[in-house]
Amino acid sequence: MGQILEIRNLALGYPGLTLFRGLSLDIAAGSTTAVLGANGSGKSTFVKMLLGITAPLAGRMSWPNGAPREIGHLAQLTEFDRRFPIRVWDLATMGAWKRLGLRRRLDAQMKSQVQAALETTGIADIAYMPLHELSGGQLQRALFARVIMQDAPLILLDEPFAAVDQQTEAHLLTLIDRWRDEGRAVVLVVHDLSSVLDHCSHALLLGNGEATFGEVETVLTPERLVAQNYLSESQAEWMFRSPRREVAHV
Amino acid sequence: MFELFAEMWSFAFMRRAFVTTTVLSASVAPVGAFLILRRLSLAGEAMAHAITPGVVIGFVVAGLSVFSLLIGGLIAGVGVAALTALLARNTILRSDASLASLYLIALAIGIFILSAAGSAVPLKSFLFGSILGIDDASLVLVGAVATVTLISFAYLLRPLIISTCDPVFFEAQTRRPWLIEQAFMLLLVLNLLAAFKTLGTLMAVGLMILPATSARYWSSTITGQLFLGFAFALASCWVGLTLSYLLPDTPSGPAIVLTAGGFFALSALLGPLGLGGRLTRFSRKSPQALQTHSTKEKTQ
Repeated sequence: MGQILEIRNLALGYPGLTLFRGLSLDIAAGSTTAVLGANGSGKSTFVKMLLGITAPLAGRMSWPNGAPREIGHLAQLTEFDRRFPIRVWDLATMGAWKRLGLRRRLDAQMKSQVQAALETTGIADIAYMPLHELSGGQLQRALFARVIMQDAPLILLDEPFAAVDQQTEAHLLTLIDRWRDEGRAVVLVVHDLSSVLDHCSHALLLGNGEATFGEVETVLTPERLVAQNYLSESQAEWMFRSPRREVAHV
Repeated sequence: MFELFAEMWSFAFMRRAFVTTTVLSASVAPVGAFLILRRLSLAGEAMAHAITPGVVIGFVVAGLSVFSLLIGGLIAGVGVAALTALLARNTILRSDASLASLYLIALAIGIFILSAAGSAVPLKSFLFGSILGIDDASLVLVGAVATVTLISFAYLLRPLIISTCDPVFFEAQTRRPWLIEQAFMLLLVLNLLAAFKTLGTLMAVGLMILPATSARYWSSTITGQLFLGFAFALASCWVGLTLSYLLPDTPSGPAIVLTAGGFFALSALLGPLGLGGRLTRFSRKSPQALQTHSTKEKTQ
């Protein structure tokens, strides 16, 4: 599988505040990378940098196979207007906006793509339900349908399971696995050490001015998690108490 | 009854008023819809006051012409909008506080200059407009603004919807996310100026906000919101104008906005998303109940 994104010697932060420096990583097609770190460690800033909204302080980011037309994106819902008068179908269709442009109408092929995306996320039966009637889980499924419609080689998900029930999380995780199998790269900001990490091949741990990237097992060790201020020593001791469990199963 | 309408229609100024407000309704309806959806309802009101000094200076310098009103108002409106954005981005104040500070200053400057210049035009006509004294130039202004607004909305509707519903997603989708916001503010100022002559600074926003909020109680789609908003605005204008004609000594601007207020009250009471409606019922129920309800709805 080819590389989608190469990052060399990256430093992220704001004027007067460096979050971390010296990060080099490759994001491969068919990989799933978890981004972890304490509050303020730069997780969301990293996502914004990948999207091109924030510029890095230093370093280089390149796309070996050409910059993608579109980056799949699911943001945190802090600024999302849940009372906006559109329906589930319209929200999913938003993902195809770049292909549709300002005026082009949906053709039959596009319509069947939207329908398929809604079926994949399990919400085809509420396609015409207005947003304000959706539960948290239903809304997140609709937003995943929008990501499907974006049809992007790189997909960024910022805390996608923050407000959904276990059943929805399990269903949406199968989608993430499917994207990986389709050869897309998924970057996933996660808040806790959870079973979500079972679905990730790589991890990027941010914190304490450092950024560590590698395979999940090599990065998320108790020593590293303590060193980068993600866990306190007693928390690490409790989580990794014997019989020793793999991080991914915590 | 019919004779009364025929009599009303026989007056040229009434016919002008009907035509102007009809065109105005088509223009302000989409602007009003997005004002409320973008949570800028009060910013619209503030902006209406903010354009006052520009309009007044234009009036003092060049007399009561449509051109001076347009140029003065545009400069003041765009200036206040840009300063607000600057303060909100670079200082601790949020945009509502910045805008409130600036519009109050602007309004005071406007009234100050108007009084100091010893104007022949009474303050009242600035505040409430003079819909029954519409000249050709004002009619052309309203028509031109409506044309620009409707064509702009035909092209900006999708980015407007996305940036309003999910601003973070929109920011990642385009290199210049601020462009859409500035374009919308410009359309707002243009429409306020078009409504200024007919309804005055105090009432201009009424025709934008009230029909839009009324429509919101009935519609769950953006199309419904836009068309219902237009229907409410149009009905408010026609009913309001008729009322002000039938009842002696009633000013037409407030009559129109009061009618719009009546539609608002009815919609809040009777609309499916209003007080007795669905939103309240849903939010009182658990998510499971919500699920069952939607399934039921589907099978019906």
